[in-house]
Amino acid sequence: MIELRFHRELYDGNAVDEAIKSFDRFATLERAEEPSCFVVRVTAKDEARERKVANELGNFALGLTIRSGSTLGGSE
Amino acid sequence: MTEVTGDQGIPADVVEHHLDRGAVSLRVDSALYPLEAIYAAAYVFIDRCYVFLDRVAEGKVRVTLSPKGAPYDAAAAREVVGEFANELLSCAWRAQITRESRATIEAVTAQALSGARGAPSLDDLEAFDFSDEAFDDPLGIAMSWEEKYAKNKKDASKTEPKPEEPKAEGGVEP
Repeated sequence: MIELRFHRELYDGNAVDEAIKSFDRFATLERAEEPSCFVVRVTAKDEARERKVANELGNFALGLTIRSGSTLGGSE
Repeated sequence: MTEVTGDQGIPADVVEHHLDRGAVSLRVDSALYPLEAIYAAAYVFIDRCYVFLDRVAEGKVRVTLSPKGAPYDAAAAREVVGEFANELLSCAWRAQITRESRATIEAVTAQALSGARGAPSLDDLEAFDFSDEAFDDPLGIAMSWEEKYAKNKKDASKTEPKPEEPKAEGGVEP
């Protein structure tokens, strides 16, 4: 299992949700919330697939966050 | 003085290699590089690397780059980090220029849009103050030909000497 921690100041929550929806069919994705970050746990049939799905999901979430133009970053 | 490694001249405490994951991390100071610049640079690399952002400390963002496809190669990782650092600097500079010229861009855009609204309505014309001078014209460049001509003619009539009548000098006319 791979755990991805998307910091709230850097990633948009909607973008993370959208990424989970898009990659749900390739692996088992579990979403959790922590005060500072969104946590996504990726489980697949083998480690290589887990890593691939986790990497692609991370890129997808980042791309959507940037394209949404959200004003994140807190004090910056 | 900051210690420098072989990673394209980037300080040693800024770059971290993760051989097990085939990734390389770069710690970025948010005071030097704003978040919008980090996003912009990350977006450029998103097609050839897996990019992950994380906040490691207050004011510090860690950017993790994993080149796609090819197996992890230290030389390739060094090249990727160097290119990312250059892109980051470029994006930060562009962001600063945009911030500084925002007022000018907005003024020019507003003028262009107001000009594109079309002809003014009768109400607009009625409310328009035609007595207001459009701009200062100390040299009289904007003066119409008629105004200039009329002025010259008037002056000329004032200054031009009247032809004197010939005096009869008591002689016999030829």
